[in-house]
Amino acid sequence: MADELYLENIDEFVTDQNRVVTYKWLSYTLGVHVNQAKQMLYDYVERKRKENSGTQLHVTYLVAGNLLQNGHVCHKIAVVREDKLEAMKSKLSTIASVHVYSIHKALLKDSSPLYNTDYDIVKTNLHNCSKFSAIHCDAAVPRMQPDIPRAQTSLQGSSQRENDTDAPSTPTINGHGPLAAKHPPQQHKGIMEMFAAKAASKPQDTNKETKAEASGVSTASSKPPTKNNIINNFFGKAAMNKLKVSPVPEQSKEEKEVVKPSVAVGEPESSPNPVVEKPGKRTESARIQQKDRKSKMKHLDRLDNEEERDPENAKKKRKRIKQLESDSSDEEDVLPSPTPEEEKALSPPPVAALKTELEPASMEVSAGGRKRKRKRVLKSKMFIDKEEGYMGKAGS
Amino acid sequence: GEGVLVRKLSELQAGEKCCVVGTLFKAMQLQPSILQEISEEHNLVPQPPLPKYIQPSDELILEDELQRIKLEGAIDVQRLVTGTILAVYGSEQDDGRFLVEDHCLADLPPPLPWNGPSSDRFVLLASGLGLGSGSGEALLSTQLLVDVVTGQLGAEGEQSCAASISRVILAGNLLSQNTQGRDTINKAKYLTKKTQAASVEAMKMLDEILLQLCTSVPVDVMPGEFDPTNYTLPQQPLHRCMLPLASTYATLRLVTNPYQADLDGVRFLGTSGQNVSDIFKYSSMDDYLEILEWTLLAGHISPTAPDTLGCYPFYKSDPFILTECPQVYFCGNAPRFQSKLLQGAEGQRVLLLAVPDFSTTQTACLVNLRDLTCQPVTFSGFGAEDED
Repeated sequence: MADELYLENIDEFVTDQNRVVTYKWLSYTLGVHVNQAKQMLYDYVERKRKENSGTQLHVTYLVAGNLLQNGHVCHKIAVVREDKLEAMKSKLSTIASVHVYSIHKALLKDSSPLYNTDYDIVKTNLHNCSKFSAIHCDAAVPRMQPDIPRAQTSLQGSSQRENDTDAPSTPTINGHGPLAAKHPPQQHKGIMEMFAAKAASKPQDTNKETKAEASGVSTASSKPPTKNNIINNFFGKAAMNKLKVSPVPEQSKEEKEVVKPSVAVGEPESSPNPVVEKPGKRTESARIQQKDRKSKMKHLDRLDNEEERDPENAKKKRKRIKQLESDSSDEEDVLPSPTPEEEKALSPPPVAALKTELEPASMEVSAGGRKRKRKRVLKSKMFIDKEEGYMGKAGS
Repeated sequence: GEGVLVRKLSELQAGEKCCVVGTLFKAMQLQPSILQEISEEHNLVPQPPLPKYIQPSDELILEDELQRIKLEGAIDVQRLVTGTILAVYGSEQDDGRFLVEDHCLADLPPPLPWNGPSSDRFVLLASGLGLGSGSGEALLSTQLLVDVVTGQLGAEGEQSCAASISRVILAGNLLSQNTQGRDTINKAKYLTKKTQAASVEAMKMLDEILLQLCTSVPVDVMPGEFDPTNYTLPQQPLHRCMLPLASTYATLRLVTNPYQADLDGVRFLGTSGQNVSDIFKYSSMDDYLEILEWTLLAGHISPTAPDTLGCYPFYKSDPFILTECPQVYFCGNAPRFQSKLLQGAEGQRVLLLAVPDFSTTQTACLVNLRDLTCQPVTFSGFGAEDED
């Protein structure tokens, strides 16, 4: 790499862009080791000073050394302006290091711009923030993703309750495992119903079945799983994603829920579940197609979308309708091109197994289904309200 | 020594010199009592928190398994706190009080064999980072701390020194007290619905800082008084899910408060400072280091728990009793840096360390494991005024 280029770069950063160029910022921007960046800054300052071209540069230095304070030796590390450099150096009994910290055109009143520059550049490079540092730690290896699916399959075998209670304590996974493990049970339950029903039975039936299964708590709490199944029915891939998330809060709430222990097979089969249960929207062939596609996509989807869903988990428990809206709007943000509702009919996705295509498809369905689902929810709510009202009266 | 009778309180005879062992209870008038507060008869306004609750009228009472007796005499009532196990030598008076001639504590626990490293290895201790406080003064210092530890700051010599830092311990109060705002409870729901707790933002900042640290050094994170974990001692580790970025690294270790570990063969034991500050409130001792030493001599990390400090009700065994003498004994969130090397009668060597609060002092501690020396490290930026 040409040595002269960096001087021009720094020149440009400082004078033209009027930036605060810290050694760390320079290291990340030019992709060089921090020590090299410091050296570059030093060279630049030297040359500029020699040139005496008139543009005034302000430099801050980092001084580190030992200081005698209160009778014991104290190590001090400070960022100082150029004018205070000598004063600081004289205060220190021994100087461990002095190097350029930053260069900028304007005189800084305090060190907050330095902090902000460093903060911003580190934030944009969080995943490799030690790349240009002088110390390398062998033990600092981020846990890789393969850990996650492995744990998923192992967790699936365990009972539902275990998943619920152990969710916070599974150490191997990064928060993905427990969530993923919770999905399969719910999905599997849905799948079994689907297979039993064989045809695109009305979502209400499946919902009622799940409702009956899930009951053991209260009718109100069984509402969520039914709602979720409704969601699953109407949405395609999005439903599968939502399945991931919506069963999670439910299952965390209803530990009494009896779910058939999911099998590893359940996972690939779970994906077509929502698709199949769509009433009259899809043909069998389309279902099968989606099934195949989704089984491949499921893993990636799950991993990718879980993080998006995670914050919505808590919300999902309480406000179903709003969640759907927010979910679909999130999907819109995620997807490059939100498709209009009219394409509902064309929603059976084409052969190309693309996530984005599946998601838009599920999205319009969700939009249409949302309305329907919303109505349904309202109805059932009213029913329950009435019931509660009635029961309340009876009780009091 | 020998020749001294050891008696239980029930066996005491008036005028007989003997030695009694029991637990101390200090009856304090100013001690905040929840029963008094909620008692409607007294019509008391809840007492505001005071820095110290000691008063000249406090009394010491010694309790053993069956009885209790008031103590007076050659005993410093102000200095001692409830919960200390004490042996007193004296005699019972006619009025039922025990006249103390001498007393002693449990003294240092038995020592551990020394397994320390032969070359220079360092451990950096910091506490009270105080993120989320809303004031940015300590932020640059925190960033400088991270930069030094990760080897970005400093010349070659400094960096090689930082490379021998084998562990970083963050001893509590990673979040600032300001994140504890409980306004949301008092305000109406419609005002606070969309507002986020201050600790959320602070945890994100902590996550980023920890991520930078974890990529180059193992970090042990202890919770403190203002951190999002349980209130009672022992405090449980912060949960992994709050630190999504940093917890992918195996170098991040979330640990409990109090924390005991063997680092490079050296036994560390420490807390985030709640035990020491509680004793500070109920005793005349003012120096954090003195209190720290005193707890070591008393053989108990936190004698005042659960009386005045929240603690889990252990009933079978007390985990806070010191059975082995640690080699580095620290407490976090002290007002200033203090350290002392204590030599015991049985060959114990303990480095007592009061880790200062970083958000106010911008000082961390660097402990050299080879010879148990400690050096404070101060960070500073520059401000609008001429400060160095």
